[in-house]
Amino acid sequence: MAQLTVAQPQHGRSGAERSWLQRVGDWVSRYGVPWVFLLPTMIFFIGWAVYPIVRVAWFSLLDYRPIQADRPVTFIGLQNYVEAFADPLLQVGIIRAATFTALFLPGMIFIPMFLAVLIDRITNARVATFYRLVLLIPAMIPGPLIFLLWKWMYDGYIGPINYALVDVLGIFTIQNQPQWLSNQLVIPGLTIMEWWWGLGYHTMFFLAGLASVPRDLFDASKVDGANEWQMFWTVTFWRLLPVTLVLVVLRFGTAMAVIDEYLIMGGFMRDRPTYTWTVYMWDTAFQGVQDRGYGAAIGWVGTIVMLVVVAVMFWAFRSRD
Amino acid sequence: MSKKLATRALFADALAGRLDRRTVLTRAATLGISAPVAAALAQSSIRTALAGDPEVLEVTSYDWQYANHPGLTEFVARLSETVPTEAEIAPSANFSTDVFLSEAAEQTSTWDLYTGVTPFLEMIQLVESDVIEPWDPYLPEGVLDDLFPPVRAEGTYQDQFYVWPWLLDIIVQGWNAEIVEAAGLDPEAAPATWDEYLANAQQVIDSGAAPFGCTFDFHAWRSLIPITHSISLDVYDPETGLFMWNSDPAVEALEIMKRMMPLANPDVLNPGTTDGGVNQTPDEQAFAARAVAYYIKYQNAHLRFASTWEDPGALRFGALPAPEGGAGGTVFWTTGAVLLKYGENKEQAAQFMHELNQDNAIWQNSITGNMPASPAVGQLPVYQSLWEEYEANRPEWITDWAFAIKDGLGSAQAITPTILSIQQFDLAAPFYTAYLRGETDDARAALTEAMDTVQAAYDDAMA
Repeated sequence: MAQLTVAQPQHGRSGAERSWLQRVGDWVSRYGVPWVFLLPTMIFFIGWAVYPIVRVAWFSLLDYRPIQADRPVTFIGLQNYVEAFADPLLQVGIIRAATFTALFLPGMIFIPMFLAVLIDRITNARVATFYRLVLLIPAMIPGPLIFLLWKWMYDGYIGPINYALVDVLGIFTIQNQPQWLSNQLVIPGLTIMEWWWGLGYHTMFFLAGLASVPRDLFDASKVDGANEWQMFWTVTFWRLLPVTLVLVVLRFGTAMAVIDEYLIMGGFMRDRPTYTWTVYMWDTAFQGVQDRGYGAAIGWVGTIVMLVVVAVMFWAFRSRD
Repeated sequence: MSKKLATRALFADALAGRLDRRTVLTRAATLGISAPVAAALAQSSIRTALAGDPEVLEVTSYDWQYANHPGLTEFVARLSETVPTEAEIAPSANFSTDVFLSEAAEQTSTWDLYTGVTPFLEMIQLVESDVIEPWDPYLPEGVLDDLFPPVRAEGTYQDQFYVWPWLLDIIVQGWNAEIVEAAGLDPEAAPATWDEYLANAQQVIDSGAAPFGCTFDFHAWRSLIPITHSISLDVYDPETGLFMWNSDPAVEALEIMKRMMPLANPDVLNPGTTDGGVNQTPDEQAFAARAVAYYIKYQNAHLRFASTWEDPGALRFGALPAPEGGAGGTVFWTTGAVLLKYGENKEQAAQFMHELNQDNAIWQNSITGNMPASPAVGQLPVYQSLWEEYEANRPEWITDWAFAIKDGLGSAQAITPTILSIQQFDLAAPFYTAYLRGETDDARAALTEAMDTVQAAYDDAMA
């Protein structure tokens, strides 16, 4: 009986016979080349993302006040964090940011979702496009212009809202008209502004989600006698849930970290609802004696709180397939 | 070389100032870069090239200085004929000095001088952080003696002269004479005491001449401290320089403000909407909308917002009221220039400030305005010799109120600067505004909390 033999490929000399230079060459060709190709991305990633994070983390371990040139920069370990965790102003600042976020998120979800459902029902393509364009206009306007616009909207003397309430409807007088940027109303006022600003952007997310919902589901629901409301809650809402969850996670982070709006509408008044942890961080790091170390620690504490909540969200919204 | 690389090289060369304008435009056109981008790039190239030129004086100013004094641009152009000068707006919103600080830490400076410093807010920080140096070695002879003594003292720290003043502001009362007259009051008479001021404001409301009687800007350096100065000028800690928030005069001043609250626009305690809440404040809107008669603030606020009235001539000025037997003082400050330590062209910088202070085109525009392009802002010169000249040969453009406001300097006092800068006022504000809002009913207790908080921050800063 013939015996089948398979020839083994010859790789030159055995490992023991090869010089260390050749072995290094082999290692480089096997593992080094991919790293060379990865290098540009790594440089960008480290320079753009990792370095600033590490740098701020390092600042948070220092007693560092650049405004006082004679004061030496000293390493103080976790002392800034010990103070930050016990700082009532930081705690209040985080609660204030969470309050805004809790007000903002539901409207940020349900108003655009409702609008998206309405636009999705429009059968005339041109009209639907027109609505999409109109909705996107606020998202195209630069932030400072938005703040200027809403400052005018909320103005007690020339703003259209109070003009309607006082001069047209006569519900209020100039003496007792709502002060939209007062301590009591500034957070709801800013929330409405943010809803308006993000309306088109968020609606587009939901329209994209709706485009992926099979029409058969709606047809079947209609055959079963479901009305629009029932179709929404039994089909649309659940089919849009993945998009909703993405939006909630994304906008949770941005809402908790809002700062421009607070600075513009609230300044540095520590008793204002707009004096959140982000404003406190900025105030500490860049005003007065510019305590950069403690400011960095405040930033990290706020970030850690946000990361914990985002981790809980990821766990709660995890795929159960 | 790919188009992408060539474009990148062009940007790098232009921004580094290595190319002349013609070369930038030619290379940009070859690469198909749009005209606006190419033009901006060429401009950047020139600016950077100039910045690198030690012969060119680099000046940077607060944005409002260009807005309020459009003649500044013309002045720079004129001076450039003899002293090559490049001027631009400073990245310094909300009195931030970060950019100068960062550069000084690297022992460098893009600019030679910065004209946007108010001594009580930024001077000590800039000195302590080694960003600026004294003007003294570069001052033309006689300049210091030509400054009004309180103005000279304001810009001096540790016996050295750091802030060369340019624009003078004084806290005064202004009123809308039409509203005051409609209320049955003498439109030409300034209330002399706080009681009279408050009674007049009440009469404005009672008569229906305006919905509100008086208004103010709640930021302490614009209301609480000037009102305190009207009672006493001895309100600063001699060791720390901190305003003594819980001193008797301060408590009395806060109580006066409390009496203003029901007579004022209800949004008066809301922060402003620019510069970290410091500017574009509700009092300005109320005064501009002719919803209020009497208004306490620096004179340029009255002038700017009266310019929106049908008849801006209805604006009247008077010295700040004072209580019976009070000091009769107020607050003044100047905005001026600091010499950046790591800048160059120090002599030219001194020449710039000296000539700027004597530029009558700027003062004429400041006092009369040039509507509709720019309203009068009323910021005034600080050289005594200029005022002597105005008195001896009165120019047709100078107004009586300008003299009256300048004379107010005699009873005015600058706020003592501290290392805390604007944070001293931000820290105290929640406590005294809580009292004004009625959330606490004890002015002294509120101001004692303010004092404790400010003192703790000061101690921490000095630790």
